[in-house]
Amino acid sequence: MEREQTARQKSLWWVAGVIVIVYALFPVAWIVSLSFKRASDLSSREFLPTTWTWDNYDLILRGDFQDLFLSALRNSIGITLIATFIAVVLSTFCAYAIARLDFPGKKLILTTALAVSIFPVISIVTPLFNLWRNIGLYDTWPGLIIPYLSLTLPLSIWTLSAFFRQIPWELEQAAQVDGATTWQAFRRVIVPLATPGVFTTAIISFFIAWNDFVYGISLTSTEAARPVPAALAFFTGASQFEQPAGAISAAAVIVTIPVVILVVLFQRRIVAGLTQGAVKG
Amino acid sequence: MTATPAAAGKLQVEKTAPPPTSDRARSERRLGWLLAGPAFVVMLLVTAYPIAQAFYESLFKYRLTDPDARAFNGLGNYAVVLTDSVWWQAVGVTVLITAITVAVEAVIGFALALVMHRAITTLRPVLRTAILIPYAIITVVSAFAWLYAFDLQTGFVNSWFSWLPAISEETNWFGGFGTSVTVIIMSEIWKTTPFISLLLLAGLAQVPEDLQEAAKVDGATWWQRMYKVTIPNMKAAIMVALLFRTLDAFRIFDNVFIMTQGSQNTEVVSFLAYRQTIGRLEIGLGSAVSVLLFLCVVLISVAFIKLFRVDLSSARGGN
Amino acid sequence: MGKTSAIWAVALATMTALAACGSDDGDTPTLTWYINSDNGGQAEIARRCTEEAGGAYRIETSLLPREASAQREQLARRLAANDSSIDLMSLDPPFIPEFAEAGFLAEIPEDVAAAVTDGTVQGAIDSATWKDELVAVPFWANTQILWYRRSVAEEAGLDPENQPVTWEQIIEAARDQDRYIGAQGIRAEALTVWINALVESAGGQIISNPDAPVEDVEFGLDSDAGRAAAEIMETIGREGLGGPGFPNQDESASMFQFQGDRGSFMVNWPFVWPATLAAVDDGSLDQSLVDDIGWAKYPAVDADTPSRPPIGGINLGIGAFSDHLDETYDAVQCIVSVENQAFYFVNDGNPASHADAYDDPEVLDVFPMAPVIRESLEDAAPRPMTPYYNEVSTGLQDTWHPPGSVRPDSTPESSTELISSVLRGEKLL
Repeated sequence: MEREQTARQKSLWWVAGVIVIVYALFPVAWIVSLSFKRASDLSSREFLPTTWTWDNYDLILRGDFQDLFLSALRNSIGITLIATFIAVVLSTFCAYAIARLDFPGKKLILTTALAVSIFPVISIVTPLFNLWRNIGLYDTWPGLIIPYLSLTLPLSIWTLSAFFRQIPWELEQAAQVDGATTWQAFRRVIVPLATPGVFTTAIISFFIAWNDFVYGISLTSTEAARPVPAALAFFTGASQFEQPAGAISAAAVIVTIPVVILVVLFQRRIVAGLTQGAVKG
Repeated sequence: MTATPAAAGKLQVEKTAPPPTSDRARSERRLGWLLAGPAFVVMLLVTAYPIAQAFYESLFKYRLTDPDARAFNGLGNYAVVLTDSVWWQAVGVTVLITAITVAVEAVIGFALALVMHRAITTLRPVLRTAILIPYAIITVVSAFAWLYAFDLQTGFVNSWFSWLPAISEETNWFGGFGTSVTVIIMSEIWKTTPFISLLLLAGLAQVPEDLQEAAKVDGATWWQRMYKVTIPNMKAAIMVALLFRTLDAFRIFDNVFIMTQGSQNTEVVSFLAYRQTIGRLEIGLGSAVSVLLFLCVVLISVAFIKLFRVDLSSARGGN
Repeated sequence: MGKTSAIWAVALATMTALAACGSDDGDTPTLTWYINSDNGGQAEIARRCTEEAGGAYRIETSLLPREASAQREQLARRLAANDSSIDLMSLDPPFIPEFAEAGFLAEIPEDVAAAVTDGTVQGAIDSATWKDELVAVPFWANTQILWYRRSVAEEAGLDPENQPVTWEQIIEAARDQDRYIGAQGIRAEALTVWINALVESAGGQIISNPDAPVEDVEFGLDSDAGRAAAEIMETIGREGLGGPGFPNQDESASMFQFQGDRGSFMVNWPFVWPATLAAVDDGSLDQSLVDDIGWAKYPAVDADTPSRPPIGGINLGIGAFSDHLDETYDAVQCIVSVENQAFYFVNDGNPASHADAYDDPEVLDVFPMAPVIRESLEDAAPRPMTPYYNEVSTGLQDTWHPPGSVRPDSTPESSTELISSVLRGEKLL
């Protein structure tokens, strides 16, 4: 893809690149700036704070919103990690079977995954709510983890199947010919090849589960399971009539930090994961 | 991952054997379902069962706070919904939002993909990171950012852009339909364009470089090459990207919930369903709306597949 | 593999650690009180009563969403599942009939009812009563008063403190001086509060027979009172007197506008007083603003008819499925004691439902307008007490919004039609 470029072309792509970066980061910069504003500064209508303050962070981490926010954060982290873990394990098995085994119903599974991924969440949330009430899963961790699987599994299966299809499985046999045991061959040859795919799938699943809002507001009702996006609607000012923009922004920034870290560390892999299975290679 | 070694070992034996006997084929089949089954069952349980249940509930007059009055109502709920202007209004708004966002995103997404495809190597990681952030950020967070940016009290947009003829210090963005929908659409575009651009980037990578070069030698301009070579060669990728974004945009909920709560006629279908079941606790009516929303999504998929011949086997799960 | 397994190990460890949190012992029954958001006062009262109980029970609080309608959703969903974990709940009064009718509220024994209503202002008792029975315990009672800028009133030749003003006078003053009126034009519960206060002040009623079965409900909107209310809203909305953000102006947005250079008159809850003082402390507002603020009773529609201010606040419902009813009856009496109500008034700015709290010197010190609040509470008119309140309120918000589009000759009629057909199940909302 590297081609000769004239200096003019080069600077043009630079400009384009900078425009893209500003476009992508501007709203994030705004919410960060908002989170550092003092209460009296919030209605200044300026982009940047006049004086920077940690007040809002103090409020959600140590002050009035501490219980609300920290329990929501705990729920979000726990539920998302477990949902991601289960989705990755199940989809690894499933994608392995699809990529390597010959059995009827492969197409059915892939089509089902596709159908599930286009499902309107709002259509299934009410029946789930009724069912959860009856079997005691309402407002619990499993009560969110299970529906999160409907969001994460389809994507994981498709991404991983695409990854696994590209693995040169012959290498495993070659290693065995060279005298390695089945287990050694698998561990030394296949696992290193498959790990990046599994890892990337885990990150993408994490984003999806972390992003959920509809299940979060519909299937929880206390600090026992309420995740952060749903909890943001619970923040109030000194009276029930005030919505504290500063505290909400600070909470929003905190839940964005893990996302940014993952993106910065693994941007190449995430792009590969998102594009790999997109069109049959 | 823990169970795969054993499975792989077993398989390995089968693969080396010459033509598989029916016995081996059967055991491979069994193993295939054993591995793929759990994921398959879980997916069915959390979607097929609830939608069936929703269909069943939609046949009843049923209000959660008045369970004694529950009564079979046939298709009555559907008749109420389909003859109500509220439903059609919500459908209209949803279609409007979907059409504009997808159209704009296709253009911006394509431009982003081109920039990423051609960008200088040093800039590429930064670009990828920047583009992934809107994709990965929580929709609710993005909705709050856009809400506060345009809000009359907290926003900077009015003071920054008051030199524009249509905007003043006192422009109330969430006070009318046009401006509210504009902000909703803008935030939706910002958040989801990266997704479409990544799908298009994958398509770009598949356009044979030698075709480009040949066209260049023949003296084709940049635009001609774009039209004659690049776009036709990535048609499949474009169609898949459009389909997924259309379905995704049609289900828009979070942005509307945070920004307007459906006021100024910005109610979308998902929000209507939410308000009937969760807000009004009218399980019967709300389930009917939910089922209709589901049918809309199916209809869009079928239309895409039939009209544009999108090859879904080349696609993968959406966002 | 090493790297990956390390990542999984960390993930698993985190999960187990997270799952391990949050289990506790229990010989003393723990009562769960679902509270609406406030300045921390309810949590503090829960702590005080737990202490006072000396081991007889422990009260834990659990927070509900900010919006009244969302609070109702959460509670109704749990109660519809016969959830025994709800012992006490802070209820917005308009939803009490629905909860009572659905059997979500435990009966209140006569001795408890007598104890908690003794000395309580009438408006608050009414808002906790359904079909002549006390079904919830009055806790705090909110009402709106008229806030005004003394300078503006003076220039208009008005003296709201001594001579009750009408909406017409307010509109005229704002128009003449090119100022903004503060009211809640947002499509939310606040709009219903305003509509109801206008209709009631004009001598009408949104629903004339609120406890009738759903088929027989009669609406009083399509009347002179309804039209008078519509006219006021239309004028403020259409002439832009409510300010640029009027169609989505909620209570706090009204307050910010009132504090600004073009503030004039505003109808709002008492929370604006501590909030304004806090902004002055904070340095973002000037003390001269505070000196310019006056207060009076809610404006009248017609000079000869006294106004009927809105009533809000919170009543305490007792969960019908609670496992600890006896302890909950004790706890609720502790919570609504006069001392606790006075504390709550001072700490959170939420006015008491018990008349004695208004004589508390500390209350008078913090809220010099306490006498006006108390007087307003006596005259206040509740929003329609009906099990279908949510439908009625949402229907009103659908048809009376944005305020500038309200038309006296058609809006009252069309909203009556919409709500009637929604109640008959013939339309969506």
